[in-house]
Amino acid sequence: MTQSRILNVSRDLILSRRASQLQRLSSLLGRSFLFMVTSVSVLAVIFIIVFIARDAYPFFQIRGFREFFTSTNWFPSADPPEFGALAIITGSALVALGAAMVAVPLGVLAAVCLSDVLPFSLRQVAKPVIEILAAIPSVAYGFFALVIFAPALQEHGGIILTVCLWMLALPAALLAATVISDMVVAGIPPSRRPVMRGICWLTLVGGAVFALVQGSGHLLDLTISSGTNALNVSIILGIMALPTVVSVSEDALQAVGRDLREGSYALGATRAETLVKTIIPAAASGIAAASILGIMRAVGETMVVWMASGNAAQIPTPWYNLLQPVRTLTATIAGDMGEADHVLGSARYHVLFAMALSLLLFSFGSNLVSEHIGRKFRSRQAGG
Amino acid sequence: MELSTRKTLDRAFSGTGMFSICLMTASLLVILLPVFAKGIKAFVFRETIENRKMILEQFHRGDSAALDIEWESARTARQPVYDAMQAFRIELDTLEGSRRRELRSSFREVESALQSLLGPEPGSTLSPLLRNRYGQTRWDRAQVKLQQVLFREAWDYSRPGEAGTRQWIPRKQTFAGTRLEPMFDHLETKLDSMLQPRWTFYWRFLSDDSRDSHLFGGIWPEVLGTLYLTIGAMLFAVPMGVIAAIYLTEYARPGRVVQILRTCISTLAGVPSIVFGLFGLAFFINTLQVSSSKSVLAGSMTLALLILPTIIRASEEAILAVPRTYKEAALSLGSGTWNMILTVLLPAALPGILTGIVISMGRAAGETAPIIFTAAVSVGKPLTLLQTLTQPTPALPWNIYNLATEHAAVEEIRHVQFGMVLTLVVMVLILNATAIAIRARIARRMKG
Repeated sequence: MTQSRILNVSRDLILSRRASQLQRLSSLLGRSFLFMVTSVSVLAVIFIIVFIARDAYPFFQIRGFREFFTSTNWFPSADPPEFGALAIITGSALVALGAAMVAVPLGVLAAVCLSDVLPFSLRQVAKPVIEILAAIPSVAYGFFALVIFAPALQEHGGIILTVCLWMLALPAALLAATVISDMVVAGIPPSRRPVMRGICWLTLVGGAVFALVQGSGHLLDLTISSGTNALNVSIILGIMALPTVVSVSEDALQAVGRDLREGSYALGATRAETLVKTIIPAAASGIAAASILGIMRAVGETMVVWMASGNAAQIPTPWYNLLQPVRTLTATIAGDMGEADHVLGSARYHVLFAMALSLLLFSFGSNLVSEHIGRKFRSRQAGG
Repeated sequence: MELSTRKTLDRAFSGTGMFSICLMTASLLVILLPVFAKGIKAFVFRETIENRKMILEQFHRGDSAALDIEWESARTARQPVYDAMQAFRIELDTLEGSRRRELRSSFREVESALQSLLGPEPGSTLSPLLRNRYGQTRWDRAQVKLQQVLFREAWDYSRPGEAGTRQWIPRKQTFAGTRLEPMFDHLETKLDSMLQPRWTFYWRFLSDDSRDSHLFGGIWPEVLGTLYLTIGAMLFAVPMGVIAAIYLTEYARPGRVVQILRTCISTLAGVPSIVFGLFGLAFFINTLQVSSSKSVLAGSMTLALLILPTIIRASEEAILAVPRTYKEAALSLGSGTWNMILTVLLPAALPGILTGIVISMGRAAGETAPIIFTAAVSVGKPLTLLQTLTQPTPALPWNIYNLATEHAAVEEIRHVQFGMVLTLVVMVLILNATAIAIRARIARRMKG
């Protein structure tokens, strides 16, 4: 019995020339099948570029580049139509900038906290929060922005902004006062230091509180004419981009390794000093890649901006005034396609593809940059 | 710097980190809690007798004998209202010019508000529009309508240079001295017995068709459409994604080709979702013509492309996490590569792959932008399986947008919108909870 089985196996192993060729052929076929399936994603990328560019080309052929990138007159259905997309591109950039201002500081701080500060058990609680934030569908965010956040911002905008200001600025002012008064007293004899420091601290904090009260007085007087504006969208997009920023920068911070941390602790640095002076600079490129990915998410997001940005094709005056409605590339594509669909072949239809092409090129560009940064970071980590 | 300052700074730094995590958790709660609190009202609410009547007539459910008895008592309660209106109509003709004109227009408002509160007056012709055939089906909406009957909205522009302020003027004042006047008090006190509200758990919100563009009924076509689109996307994306992951981990040798493959996969992951939608329109519908216009098939294919990178990455990670020893043991026992992959590698990596699949299912279910041009319509019937190849479908994400922004009566159907958002969010959360549970099991197995 055993003998026969062994023989059987050996017969399988020692193949005739023909059978061996057959097996090699089939393995080659299998491999090439796998390769073909894998290259679907390459094909997809190529096809996306080709098909978007193919439909964008007629627009530039008809209207040229200049109007699209330099004019702010967006009247696609007027007669004669105007297709100046500058205000729309600015709108996209503005909300992305706003989102980055929310997502990057919060995200990096949260990532630092997750990787170095929190104990393991709390980390296990915080992780699902990030996952759920990432999982909530964009239309649910958009619905929240439109139905709940926009009316709240319109009616109690001043109060909301004031609370935010105090929450952020007061702790920062207290800290800054501590550090500055510490620096000021460094030069005087030790016996007089506590008194001087106290005086200095009180003056600084008093000044800061005075400035804050003044500022919040202005903020409280603020009337927000419409809750669907760039600020609303920026905050929501910032929250949506948070998970990306947190998880990618946490990976980067983890990759820095224990030896740098331990070296810094051994030199007597506190945890904050270790993180700020050693770990974050070492992970800077990873954090930059994370920020780029977060901004990409904000630029590419459609539903939130379509529902809650106000969709007014204008550059806010002054340009940083987030309280005015804006219109973005994604929202324009989504909103105008329904009307432009009937006029297939017109500039009005193709201009949307031109917008998609600009979005696509931007996302390719930033993707390449973030990949490049990430690769450099990883190779440096591996190298030493 | 002094030691105490350094310590303060250290603590402050940890504090800001904690603060940002707390802020994140708080924003999650701020977003989810209203959705849950208001979404649940689509399922649990006080239904009026109009709702029971509507359900009996439109969906053929309910106890018609019991309804008849209730209807009888509701009608008795309503009779004085109609009597007063009838009497006022006669009185109106006897009034003089200016007062008559003023009261007539005001009375028309009362009439239409009453019709939308209680349904059509007995004896009037049956309207083809369902919304004109029934009064308010929900007690909370009935309260709002009652307000509109009792008060007139007016704007006070008396202070120059400022925006007008809204005022509510009681209609009782307008109609003081007429025979309509007692009707308002009667309505206010007796609305209970006219509408007979009762708590109900309307779980069929998920499985009922919608009637008269979501003013009545449930969201079954949307739920079904979302399921079709999600499952369709998985049918395309899962095989492709897993095979690609196997190739990248087991067959591909590091080099230029793999480099290009990986760059393309991460590029695909970064393409904005709206561009996928345009691509789906330009490629699947206009060029390949998988269907003559929008269809579930085209939408599924577009969504599949969108989630492909996620599935590839998750599967790749899962396969790489399988210990080398498993593979080597299988190979040393004389198994071929293919055999090893099918019998050892994939079963061991399955939980990890499943996690990726489940998470991307949630993503596919919630994506709106790619299906706008490829699959979604605002109003539609639930499709059969065969129709999905050629027909477009309503879907939860698209209809949330549509109902919240483009519907004619946005305020009246807030509960439907919140109900839809709740359904979608719960679907996605369940999928993610499954993923987290699977991952926890893997972690336990790895430890034990």
